[in-house]
Amino acid sequence: MNDLVLMGLEGAVLVTGLAVLLLDLWITPDQRRLLGFGAIATLGVIFCASFAYLPDGTQYAFGGMYALDEFALYFKRFFLIAGMFVLLLSVGTSHAEEGGQGEYLSLSLFALAGMMFCASAANLALLFVSLELVTVTFYVLVGFQRRRLASLEAAIKYLIIGALSSAFLVYGIALIYGATGTLDFRQLASLPAAVMESRILWLGALFLFVGLGFKMAAVPFQIWAPDVYQGAPPSTTAFLAVGSKAAGFVLLLRVLHQTLPVLETRWLHLLMGVAGLSIAYGVLCAIPQRSLKRLLGYSSIANAGYLLIGVATLSAAGATAALYYLAGYLYTVLAAFIVIAVVLQHTGRDDFDSLAGLHQRSPLLAAGLTFAMVSLAGIPPLAGFFGKFLVLKAALAAGAEHPGFYWLLGIAVVGVVISLYYYFGVVRAVYWGTPGEQPAGPIRVEWPLQVALYLAMVAILWLGVMPNQITNLAELAVKSLGLR
Amino acid sequence: MTPGLEHYLVVSLLLFALGLLGVIIRRNLLVIYMSLEMMLNAANLALVAFSRFNNNLNGQVMVFFIITVAAAEVAVGLALIVALYRQRQSAHVEDLATMKL
Repeated sequence: MNDLVLMGLEGAVLVTGLAVLLLDLWITPDQRRLLGFGAIATLGVIFCASFAYLPDGTQYAFGGMYALDEFALYFKRFFLIAGMFVLLLSVGTSHAEEGGQGEYLSLSLFALAGMMFCASAANLALLFVSLELVTVTFYVLVGFQRRRLASLEAAIKYLIIGALSSAFLVYGIALIYGATGTLDFRQLASLPAAVMESRILWLGALFLFVGLGFKMAAVPFQIWAPDVYQGAPPSTTAFLAVGSKAAGFVLLLRVLHQTLPVLETRWLHLLMGVAGLSIAYGVLCAIPQRSLKRLLGYSSIANAGYLLIGVATLSAAGATAALYYLAGYLYTVLAAFIVIAVVLQHTGRDDFDSLAGLHQRSPLLAAGLTFAMVSLAGIPPLAGFFGKFLVLKAALAAGAEHPGFYWLLGIAVVGVVISLYYYFGVVRAVYWGTPGEQPAGPIRVEWPLQVALYLAMVAILWLGVMPNQITNLAELAVKSLGLR
Repeated sequence: MTPGLEHYLVVSLLLFALGLLGVIIRRNLLVIYMSLEMMLNAANLALVAFSRFNNNLNGQVMVFFIITVAAAEVAVGLALIVALYRQRQSAHVEDLATMKL
């Protein structure tokens, strides 16, 4: 019984998903929106309930399969907020999407539950199953507009690359199990040093990293990101950009620091290399892009690089920075995708030309997109700036021990400078772009989307001006991971 | 001669490599998907062999999870491939090139 209580948050999300799926059968189409609002309100209640959990150290459930600590709770709250925004976004744009609103909501909720399980995984079996729950539901969510070829094409690309990465993940798990004889994180952590030297274990861990790298969209596992971001429905893309990426990071941090601490030294160069390559690739490839969603796809690769710098420092400061960075990135990306969803609905396109004159058609959307781009570019006082500042500060501190971090720092700073060009290209298109012949009437934004956009903008500003509250939470989370 | 752990592992690695090769060089989505399943089953074989020689059942339990998840993945994947076939009357990777740059 105690086990079920510990798992209550995920359980509640799963029950909500099933309830939405069933209720959808009996209600009339006009009531669909109410169903969506009901689901969002339930997630809000679950979010508040998460503060009732006060784990004293780490609590385990189901024979050590499932761990609940401050670290897991931080990410659960993160995923719940992301889920609420995504549901709000999908309710606000529902009439544009063909049919199946109830299915879309419940699939999003199942993906959310999968992400929350990822945050608590303490066994390679749960790691695999929760990661697959996220991935398989995203196959459907990406291809949800199945009569639109782009959506379908994106889904198939995601399917092939996703299945390939899970094959590597599974083989990695098999090799780790072969070398150690256990799947449990606590038993893995307490193995004697002689076992840790095993080459099979090393190879297995590398394969595991392939699986996680795919979720994080880090180079060289990034190949799917731009196409999938461009083709998927905007609410799915937003969820993919924040939720799926964070699921990769939560597992990476847990495996790195709690499960196989021996990897910390072995993976140092790997993590640094992947971080540098991700930033360089994402930033350089984003320059010629004309589609906003595709641009954000490349930007998400670059952001994975910045997050990985924080992880690679292997310090509490670096991990805290990464956690804060993710929180800022969450609101920034959500604000951007709310605007993109509305613009897509009205113009049917998401390239820079369709943004021209947006500040006249809807000042709110223009302001929201500008906020998101300025935050992504890392301009103070918004959240994006402080996230990058913390990550680079941690890298500077780690540079004293390992000079390679100075190179990484250089790449990161050059990346920020180059990214100013394309982020401000978007802002320029919004305010100074020349509209074509298309009739440019004012865009009416539905109230759920207005609320979501205002909330996201306030959060971006609030996180940037008052970072302490989130960094305190992040520090608490990192401390429970055993990092000093 | 009774087959030892290394025999099982060699077969498993061969299956994995063949699957990977299939994913890389084949052009038909269904064949690619079949190759992916073969990679998953290579991992299953390795898990069962390790389970036998490690003398505990964790690996076998893991195999059940993998089989179940793979079944769900195949259901979704085939549905997507069929949906694509209905639109394009083809299941070749060359037809997946509308998004570029």
